[in-house]
Amino acid sequence: MKKWQVAVVMLLAALGSWFAVGTQAQAKTYTIATDTTFAPFEFQAKGGKYKGIDIDILKAISKKENFNYKLKAISFGAAVQQLSANQVDGVIAGMNVTDERKKTFDFSNAYYTSGVVMAVAKDSNVKKFSQLRGKTVALKTGTAGSAYAKSIQNKYGFKIKYFNDSNNMYNDVKVGNSVACFEDYPVMSYGIKNGIALKIVSKQYDAGDYGFAVKKGKNAELLKKFNAGLKAIKADGTYDKIINKYLKSDQASLTGETAKSRTFVGLFTQNIGTIGTGLWMTLELTVISIILATILGLALGVLGVMPGKVGPAISSTIIYIFRGMPLMVLAFFIYIGFPDLIGHGFKIPAFIAGMITLMLNEGAYTGAFVKGGFAAVDEGQMEAARSLGLPYWTAMRKVIMPQGIRIMIPSFINQFIITLKDTSILSVIGIVELTQTGTLIIARNFEGFKIWLMIAIIYLIIITLLTWLSNWVQRRIN
Amino acid sequence: MAKVIVKDLHKSYGDNEVLKGLNLEVQENEVVCMIGPSGSGKSTFLRCLNDLEVPTQGQVIVNGHDLSDKATNINLVRENIGMVFQHFNLFPHLSVLQNVTLAPVELKKETQAQAEKTALELLETVGLSDKANAMPKSLSGGQKQRVAIARALAMHPQIMLFDEPTSALDPEMVGDVLDVMKKLAAQGMTMIVVTHEMGFAKEVADRVVFMADGLIQENGKPEDVFEHPKSPRLQDFLQKVINV
Repeated sequence: MKKWQVAVVMLLAALGSWFAVGTQAQAKTYTIATDTTFAPFEFQAKGGKYKGIDIDILKAISKKENFNYKLKAISFGAAVQQLSANQVDGVIAGMNVTDERKKTFDFSNAYYTSGVVMAVAKDSNVKKFSQLRGKTVALKTGTAGSAYAKSIQNKYGFKIKYFNDSNNMYNDVKVGNSVACFEDYPVMSYGIKNGIALKIVSKQYDAGDYGFAVKKGKNAELLKKFNAGLKAIKADGTYDKIINKYLKSDQASLTGETAKSRTFVGLFTQNIGTIGTGLWMTLELTVISIILATILGLALGVLGVMPGKVGPAISSTIIYIFRGMPLMVLAFFIYIGFPDLIGHGFKIPAFIAGMITLMLNEGAYTGAFVKGGFAAVDEGQMEAARSLGLPYWTAMRKVIMPQGIRIMIPSFINQFIITLKDTSILSVIGIVELTQTGTLIIARNFEGFKIWLMIAIIYLIIITLLTWLSNWVQRRIN
Repeated sequence: MAKVIVKDLHKSYGDNEVLKGLNLEVQENEVVCMIGPSGSGKSTFLRCLNDLEVPTQGQVIVNGHDLSDKATNINLVRENIGMVFQHFNLFPHLSVLQNVTLAPVELKKETQAQAEKTALELLETVGLSDKANAMPKSLSGGQKQRVAIARALAMHPQIMLFDEPTSALDPEMVGDVLDVMKKLAAQGMTMIVVTHEMGFAKEVADRVVFMADGLIQENGKPEDVFEHPKSPRLQDFLQKVINV
């Protein structure tokens, strides 16, 4: 076998083993999803570990009831979707028990009763709902705050803007794009205590109960265990201890961060481990996806310029579908929609789903310019090669492809950079890559500007290195 | 048996019939020049002989192989027909030597070493042995065309097709290319040459074929065609060409 063939076989073998490991590990342990940024119920502490009321309650109950679980921290929206698609066994994420949700999920007994409050910027003079008329209100999708605000929207005539993430919602209010946000009281008061420049201006409105959710009709045993465990930890005082621990202390005491670590350099050294892990995930995804997308793109390109009608038609259709679909939709479809379609508890690990998403999307773009590059090679080249007696594929390989690929190099470099940046979109299916790392760190310390600056600089550095590498390759080829 | 037999050859592009029923035989060692006004179908005819164009109707038999027969391996037939194009079509990413050795090596006709030896001899023949390692873009048009001839000869073809080989050249380059072609003709190569070089046709051709309007109008020895044109079309054509 030639070198490249060996490489392809090894890559496929690696992917295969990944699948195998991924499915084995989930056989006996419950996978439980939670939100990433919903302090004090769940948030990432220094070093990447998750902490919070939900996390501690789950841990205490699992000890009482003797079950193992794997925690999966993704956005709230993704957690709920994955539960309904049977990708996870349960969700504990400050989730409100509502009638609508009861149609899809079975809930445990309430483990917390919350209230919704309205918060505005520190220097704002908005105090009453009536002052919201015509203004924009920031909400986080799927929360009790969002449900409450929606119920009074018509009465007070405000506009709504949705966020997937609490911190982005707070920031939108802080910078003045929105005048107010609605949030669960413990979450809001905890955030304010820890440095968010907002203030609470309303009383607590009834927001109902938080419950642990499983998919309707599934995992009844887990639900039973949760209820029993909850009863037990309430009885022995563990529950109160957990609640007090989070609602009565400030964050620094929980995360171990100090004031002097809030400088740019301090933040960097403090979070270097987390950032490094995210960066590694981004690089891994980028490199593997670039390789796969390039293979797919070359195949689509070659198919696209083949004589006859079948090849070009297949190529155009594939390019049309995957280039036309937004990356995020494709990611959700592969990760959540596709297993749902197949059923039988079929699961795709997020990393594999992300990789396939990037391969198809970037591969389609690559296919389009590869096709263009081959078509740009003068027709006379193919004729000259064929007139010498070279078969079509030999002519393609020896004459058309080397010339076409030279034409395509700038497009390839461009596509590599786009792929790198597109990995950030995969945070929606719970892949903790560089961008998601930033979100998580900010959820803990609220240092939005410094952390995003840090993340931006890291992206620029990698892109610069990638460009240098590509230019070097380009010089070598020419 | 004739090297090339063409029977009732038709070629249409949509409603436009370019070749309207041609018949021609070319014998071994024969040099046939095809002349005629632009758009008369000369190039299309030539390209039908190695299947670069697929005839709409009719039969083309080359070296005994019927090109319209599905069982015919076109790649094997093409190995025995060299073709030289108006615009050279050298492979720009390969050196002169690699251009010449590509096909024999890829098709396992010769080892790399053998092919290079043959290539250097052929480059010597076309007067370019000093350009073996040059890239095509550094060559003049005339040099490119001579490399193209060497490239075609590297497969040791039994027939050579020339599609207006000097039409894209500066006037001072034409002579070098024609000299190479004359040398080939003298060695007994079977050649079909589409050309506007009447001097070359007169001097080298065994037979001259005049095409117009998708048909062969006259077909005969050079002296007959040039000195005693029968059809008004040919008389008119020669008048114009000679007056230029």
